[in-house]
Amino acid sequence: DDVDVDPATPLIYVLRNDLALNGPKLGCAAGQCGACTVLVDGLAVRSCQLPAGDAMAPIAITTLEGLGTPDRPHALQTAFIQEQAAQCGYCTAGMIMHAAALIAGKPAITEAEVKEGLDNNLCRCGTQPRVVRAVMRAARQGV
Amino acid sequence: MTNLSRRGLGLTAAGLAIGFHWGLGSAQPAPPPATPMLRANPRLQAWVRIAPDGRITVLTGRVELGQGVLTAMRQIAADELDIAPDSLTLLSGDTAETANEGVTAGSQSIRFGGEALGIACADVRATLLRVAAEAWNQPAATLTVADGVISGAGRRMTYAEAASSLSLARPVDAQARRKPVAAQQVIGTSLPRTDIPAKVFGQQVFIQDLRPEGMVFGAVARPPGYAARLDSLDMAWAQALPGVIAVVRDGSFLGVIARREEQANAAAAKITQAARWRDGPAMFGGRDVFDHLLNTPARVTTIHKVEAAGPAAARTHRAEYRRGFQAHASIGASCALAVWQGDALTVWSHAQGPFPLRADLALGLRMPADKIRVIHAQGSGCYGHNGADDVALDAALLARAVPGRTVRVQWTHEEEMAWAPWGSAMVVRLEAGLAADGTLGSWSHDVWSFPHSTRPGSGPGCNLRSAWYLENPVAAPPPSDGPLPNGAAARNAVPIYAVPNQAVTTHFHAAMPVRTSALRTLGGYFNALAADMFMDECAALAGRDPVAYRLAHLRDPRLQAVLRRAVDLAGWTPEAVVRKPLAAEMIGTGVGLSKYKNSDAHVAVVARVAVNTGTGAVRVLGLWAATEAGRAVNPDGVTNQIEGGMVQSTSWTLMEEGRWNAGRMTSDDYARYPIIDFGTTPPIRSVVIDRPDLPSLGVGEGSQAPTGAAIANAIFAATGRRVAEIPLTPDRVKAAMAG
Repeated sequence: DDVDVDPATPLIYVLRNDLALNGPKLGCAAGQCGACTVLVDGLAVRSCQLPAGDAMAPIAITTLEGLGTPDRPHALQTAFIQEQAAQCGYCTAGMIMHAAALIAGKPAITEAEVKEGLDNNLCRCGTQPRVVRAVMRAARQGV
Repeated sequence: MTNLSRRGLGLTAAGLAIGFHWGLGSAQPAPPPATPMLRANPRLQAWVRIAPDGRITVLTGRVELGQGVLTAMRQIAADELDIAPDSLTLLSGDTAETANEGVTAGSQSIRFGGEALGIACADVRATLLRVAAEAWNQPAATLTVADGVISGAGRRMTYAEAASSLSLARPVDAQARRKPVAAQQVIGTSLPRTDIPAKVFGQQVFIQDLRPEGMVFGAVARPPGYAARLDSLDMAWAQALPGVIAVVRDGSFLGVIARREEQANAAAAKITQAARWRDGPAMFGGRDVFDHLLNTPARVTTIHKVEAAGPAAARTHRAEYRRGFQAHASIGASCALAVWQGDALTVWSHAQGPFPLRADLALGLRMPADKIRVIHAQGSGCYGHNGADDVALDAALLARAVPGRTVRVQWTHEEEMAWAPWGSAMVVRLEAGLAADGTLGSWSHDVWSFPHSTRPGSGPGCNLRSAWYLENPVAAPPPSDGPLPNGAAARNAVPIYAVPNQAVTTHFHAAMPVRTSALRTLGGYFNALAADMFMDECAALAGRDPVAYRLAHLRDPRLQAVLRRAVDLAGWTPEAVVRKPLAAEMIGTGVGLSKYKNSDAHVAVVARVAVNTGTGAVRVLGLWAATEAGRAVNPDGVTNQIEGGMVQSTSWTLMEEGRWNAGRMTSDDYARYPIIDFGTTPPIRSVVIDRPDLPSLGVGEGSQAPTGAAIANAIFAATGRRVAEIPLTPDRVKAAMAG
């Protein structure tokens, strides 16, 4: 889709309000919480900090919707359901997107590395132990 | 028959507890009757509806806050109706449809709302079974139901067929019998949360995901301080800011509607800067909040007093504990949508109480409540009264400028932190008389606090913030403190320990320069935490092991059971806490125990910590918990709430404290108000003791206090030195080590 906006507009607003994507969540809008994380050419990036003008084609942006679907779920999406790794679920999309970049090609990643990798993704409900279990479960399956 | 015996057991257990507490003269009451929700909402169709095509809709006035309550309600309804959980449609929190169950708060949803829904569903099942029984001339007891189909004597009748022959437009039969525990198939199982798949696939779930046609974005230009008022603004300049559709001014309420979200936020920020404001007086008269609490006039009430013969006091122990302001700090800021059609208003909100919100919207907007519909949609995690209600009035005030168009307002994180209610700063002083052998003979608990419940629906007056800034303002009602047994400022101030002489006194400050209201547990976290810190100090004075000392003062078998289970799980070396020579790193193990609200979940937590005495940094090495809350409707849901509460409480206890300037709270982002991260989240092990023979108790807030107490007591055990101000920051720990 073509979107006509000021290129300085943070990408999160374009994804949510112009493209009607629900995956990236608006949290602190200051790069502190990680709720808006998306993949930019496979790297985890906070979409509240990235100007939309820097994210134009051929750069590939992947949101939670593009990571997997109910019919073809990503291993992380399956693992988050299996571990019931959410309470309110508002931080979940950012957790999954950050973890997707973190575990890609690293089936032997350790729990300590997962915790360190997710250290700047905040959860207020206290689901961190479940999130770590879900990420470890998905990593072990190799993604 | 089994049902009767289950209820009989429940009553017997409650009766024992009552008799025991009365023996001590405590104010512990009988559990409230299970049907207040049915008395308030007697229409059966407010709970269960059967469509002609057989689709069954169940309705609950309770709302999903991330605690999994809608999954539990689905389990209850499915079990009582004998249908598959996923075949039910579940409606929640809509003033045009569902029962008015007040506020989803206080760990009461399952205990009261779930019981009411269960009775309504049992009534429907029994009624439809009677239709089949009469049609087939068979005793109802010989018929069975599976997946909504009644069978017996080789015949079948669907619920829809049975329902077609009678009207369910009648009151609920409050005497309808729920299934006996032994027959329950869905209740008591860990049915996966029904809302999680949509959340991991990015489907439309949250209020922030609603995008009605033609929606525009609103934002409020906040004053520089709570007491500041607007002098002037160049409206023509504001109107010309990029993307602006309308600028709304009503007294000191100033807001903007724009085509794009980021334009609305940018315009509001510029307007705040450009407007001329009159500052109000400095908060707390410029003094420290604890000085303010202790030394300015407060309403003093002794709300609990028990006098009985006890051992003569050989010594007295006194201590004072403090806690600063603490915040909800949700990941997603509060959000609402509003649209006016003629004189009717529709609002989408993630508030905890759609009906109380509607009442205060009517007051703030000076319009009849029946012209307002409030529909619940999920928001980011909610831990009490945050900005959810306030933002709904903001959206409604702004939407009035663009009739027929939906206005969405999502506060900024900074706005949420500065303008939503905070959890009150508090001071607790405890005094106990100990007999020569250390036995407690007297216990007094004094608490100084601002209000813990200034929610909408408290009338007369409007508890939605922007109403106070209007040209013709609608003032807030005078705040009140919640009465015992559950209390607000004094929640969990009545000791759980057997002490013959007891007193609880509140020093209540109704005037609140920083607006305070319900944060998960109200005063319960800090009162129970302070009491359990004090208990460890008394044990140390008596030269006794903290667990043995508690057991010597416990008469409640349910508290004894969770305490024993938690220390078994963690491993516990019985020894008295003594002052130790300082080493660079000192490791200690502590315990915390609580019966939430003196009526609900029984939770014991053990914490092991490492204290760096040089820097004052505290690392939690592990947390272990045992929980017993009667019948667990969804055991994994209970575990998720208890463990999540342990993580959140670790964060409160070690790092969270709000700061302010003359005009407002300034801890308004995650740098100035940090919360726990993955690296500092401790390993957790928790067990739930299921008691299917006992009624379900509220569990969602049960682990906050005992977790905090366990951590504080572990520092005490490690070093023999007490850090008495929450949060237990490195500075405070370091200072205590020097003492």
